[in-house]
Amino acid sequence: MSKSLAERLGPLLVIIGLFLVWQAVGMMIGEDYFPTPIALIPAMRTLLSDGDIWGDLGHSLWRLAMGFLLAIVTAAPLGIVAGRSKAVRDFITPLLSLFYPIPKAALIPIFMLWFGAGDLSKILIIYLSVTLPIVYHGQQGARSVDDKLIWSAQAMGTGRLGLLLRVVLPAALPELLLGVRVALVIGLIVMITSEMIVRQNGLGYYLFNSMDMAQYKLTYLVIVIVGALGLVLDFGFELIRQRLTFWSPRQREPMVTEA
Amino acid sequence: MSIVASGIVASDSPLPAGEAGFPPMIELKAVSKSYVRTGKGGTVLALDAITARIGDGEFVSIVGPSGCGKSTLLYIVGGFVPATSGQIVVQGKPITGPGPDRGPVFQEFALFPWKTVRENIRFGLTEQKVPRAEADARVDELLDLVHLRKYADLYPKELSGGMKQRVAIARTLAYRPRTLLMDEPFGALDAHTRALLQDELLQIWERERKTVLFITHGVDEAVYLSDRVLVMSAAPGSLKADIRIDLPRPRRREELLLNRRYQELVIEIGRMMDNRH
Repeated sequence: MSKSLAERLGPLLVIIGLFLVWQAVGMMIGEDYFPTPIALIPAMRTLLSDGDIWGDLGHSLWRLAMGFLLAIVTAAPLGIVAGRSKAVRDFITPLLSLFYPIPKAALIPIFMLWFGAGDLSKILIIYLSVTLPIVYHGQQGARSVDDKLIWSAQAMGTGRLGLLLRVVLPAALPELLLGVRVALVIGLIVMITSEMIVRQNGLGYYLFNSMDMAQYKLTYLVIVIVGALGLVLDFGFELIRQRLTFWSPRQREPMVTEA
Repeated sequence: MSIVASGIVASDSPLPAGEAGFPPMIELKAVSKSYVRTGKGGTVLALDAITARIGDGEFVSIVGPSGCGKSTLLYIVGGFVPATSGQIVVQGKPITGPGPDRGPVFQEFALFPWKTVRENIRFGLTEQKVPRAEADARVDELLDLVHLRKYADLYPKELSGGMKQRVAIARTLAYRPRTLLMDEPFGALDAHTRALLQDELLQIWERERKTVLFITHGVDEAVYLSDRVLVMSAAPGSLKADIRIDLPRPRRREELLLNRRYQELVIEIGRMMDNRH
């Protein structure tokens, strides 16, 4: 795969441009309310060196990872099975349609009531939010597996479970991982939101706390860090996704042409 | 007429031996298929009481206009799609679903895109729990048979259409089905590749004498390859004619094209497909 130089540099140029606009606007408005990126650099240095934020970052990531892994382990199999079984699909479709439009953050108070203000309620709210796209895309992927792939395997004697594991799952993987990617971004949003509402620790807590203490430079810094975290996680996942689905015809590669 | 051949006991069958002395391998008994019309209600008849017999080792093609249900008929024989009424009997036993005795080859190749050429060919052997060493040897044998040893470690998306169909044929041959069910297998290929694969298929068939049920809309292809050609009418599909292809084997394309009888058969079957009664 060869990308042109413009294609490679494009995203970088956009980010640099964004920082330039930020700098310009900050200089016009005044740094007290709108610190410029350059003014943030010393603040960034102290933030990273005094180590305050690392613990919060760790707490945030741990809850995200737990909710996310729990969702993959349960939602991916459910989606795959739902894609191949009308009975399961008929059962979960109304549930999905019911829960999909509810902003999950609205459920946080109830979860706090049930599970306390600790990690559990936050992990569960992340879990619930990321479950839906994984189930949905898993189901779409499993449903659209070519009949003839299934038939070919059936003719070879593959049974029901074998079909799910060795044919449907790999065939549905590109679509399933698309859902996981969407889930990752949603998980990040819910992670921050839950920490802003249930203020205990984590990046969301840090963000609001700095706001309360009028340390606006810190507030901006945490926003930048959250943004960067999203970028890194998404980019990292994309690398994994490409590695797992390199065989997919949708990802183009040169073709051997010989009859 | 004795119907006991190659270990297959069919002497209790009241039916006479298959065409041209082949003992029966597959019997289609009044196979019908109707679909429920979505939305409008009611049913549409797609296949109308098809009765036919395909002999062991016989190469039978089914030709017909598009939409006549010939592919559906093949899926029913494969056990992939249930018939609405009627029965498919294979070696004396009614089928209940797909089985490794009937290996499909589809127009769309249907390879597992996440597996290499070698892994695709090996899939059925693993599913059949063939011991590792034996499976490895069998895969190598098939890679040679379809001239793909050089490409064994490529993925389907890296292959041309002709190569993909070779892999699909090898994958099916690997687990040694008695019958090949081929659904317009060369329909998606260019003319040159199609001719090449027809010849390769004939060579393999001459050697292994598998029963072949071959769906196509190419009359010349059907005549070139087959012992018998079944002609289907337009929807609802029913059998219109059963024509024995009395051309000598082994067949060579360049000889056949000049053969008077070959030309007559192609023209005769082509005419049958044109007038839609």
